[in-house]
Amino acid sequence: MDHATWPTGTLVGLLSILILYKIFSARMGKELFIRKIPGLSAIEEAVGRATEMGRPMVFVPGIGGLSLATLQALSILKYVTSIAAKYRTRIIVPTIDSVVYTVAEEITKDAYTAQGVPEQFNPDDIRYLSDDQFAFASGVVGILNREKAASNFMFGLFAAEALILAETGHQVGAMQIAGTPSILQIPFFITAADYTIIGDEFYAASAYLSREPTLLGSLVGQDYAKALIILVILAGILTVSMPPLHLHGALSFLNHFADWVNWFK
Amino acid sequence: MFTRYLIKPGAPQWLWVLGVIGDFLLFGGILFAFLQAIPARFRRPFIVTLTFLAGLIYSVEFFWPADPKTQMNFLTPLRLKLGEATKVVYAFALGLGTYNLIRFHGSNLIRKRPGWHNNLAFFISFAAMMGVGFWAYYAPSSKAAANAYNMLFEGIVGALGATMFSTIGFYIVSAAYRAFRIRSGEATLMLLAAFIVMLGQVPVGAYLTSGIPSGGVLRNLRLENLSYWILSQPNMAAQRGIWFGIEIGALAMALRQWLSLERGSFFEREL
Repeated sequence: MDHATWPTGTLVGLLSILILYKIFSARMGKELFIRKIPGLSAIEEAVGRATEMGRPMVFVPGIGGLSLATLQALSILKYVTSIAAKYRTRIIVPTIDSVVYTVAEEITKDAYTAQGVPEQFNPDDIRYLSDDQFAFASGVVGILNREKAASNFMFGLFAAEALILAETGHQVGAMQIAGTPSILQIPFFITAADYTIIGDEFYAASAYLSREPTLLGSLVGQDYAKALIILVILAGILTVSMPPLHLHGALSFLNHFADWVNWFK
Repeated sequence: MFTRYLIKPGAPQWLWVLGVIGDFLLFGGILFAFLQAIPARFRRPFIVTLTFLAGLIYSVEFFWPADPKTQMNFLTPLRLKLGEATKVVYAFALGLGTYNLIRFHGSNLIRKRPGWHNNLAFFISFAAMMGVGFWAYYAPSSKAAANAYNMLFEGIVGALGATMFSTIGFYIVSAAYRAFRIRSGEATLMLLAAFIVMLGQVPVGAYLTSGIPSGGVLRNLRLENLSYWILSQPNMAAQRGIWFGIEIGALAMALRQWLSLERGSFFEREL
């Protein structure tokens, strides 16, 4: 069983306080600015492209179960489906996990209903393919080829099949937008997709798309948390690089800087 | 929950399965009926409280110091039980997934849409794998069942998976061709780095720079050492930088979910 050590607990606690503080200050009406994320701004363009070409879009919510990354992917799915419903464009959602399949079906149905076109929702477009990684990959490859997808969205957790999906999308001429927290797959997406959302940009997607104060606050809190981490790293580098100090009196606490670096180990 | 009191140890397996399903339906039914019965304005606070309490169990369990011998604290058994409960939810969802497969392939087959033979292949494969799976499970001593299962699972499913996996090699070539085209300063730098790393991983790379002394400062110019340096220093630093961002993003999202602060999409407000 994994349990937190004191340093982990302290750091996670500090980061959580920072993030929550920024969330609540944003809820109180503080104006916040977030920079442009090209990959997320291009979503509407991708839907528009599919609409103009009269071809469907494919949205792959990764190969994970109902984890945080998948929830974020589903959040983006709702946004994409809302635009697709507005433009009367078909969207196909292949899933690998039966729980994700049920949630994706509900989300898509809700999005069509919210746009006033519930009759456009086709339950056959939300598909549970297989829980096997490569059977799922071959299923998605088949859909991309058969349907000649105009746009391909890949958001969520991916593994070895990432390149198979992205390269197939490229071969069928789909405009591709990808985002994943799976660090090893990021280079493949950067190579094969038109836009790739990397690192914490992936978890910033819901904030960026909805512009909700709570989420924007969380985003700014994340930046503060990153600044804190950078400070800890810099302080660590400084202390381990410094020669031993032999200070006396009020400054003697500086002699033990190296100790707190060890404490974090 | 009630199953362990009503069903005695040693009872047939199917009775336990029925008991667990009964438990789930009973508690799920009570929860559903309760949510329907209470006024709409109380539903959200109820779900928010339930989410908070469930999250609290997991976080307190993680932060509470564990017994060094057992690596467990007073909440660990409860966390394990909750993990088992989610498996039951997954089992039900699997049924829905199977229903989706049958509905999709069944309607294509009945209407004889183009490619209907693929839908027929699905039903044949589904029935064969399920039949042989049950046969092998309930007749563990049968050699014929074990052989049939191995033939289907390892001989076909495993081989098909491996075939699909092996196609990655071809996709890498086409992706690498596009990635390594010299279009900008960054692409040139990446090509150079990739060239060194690739050469450093193969014997011919080591051979090419074998003339450089293996000691002293000059050893850093040997291709295998350059390759190792690129992978373990700049590459690793960039990867860890991305990791920090991802983990902080995940922490922020986890906090929003736990405290029901998440907005947009399926969490309260329409986009």
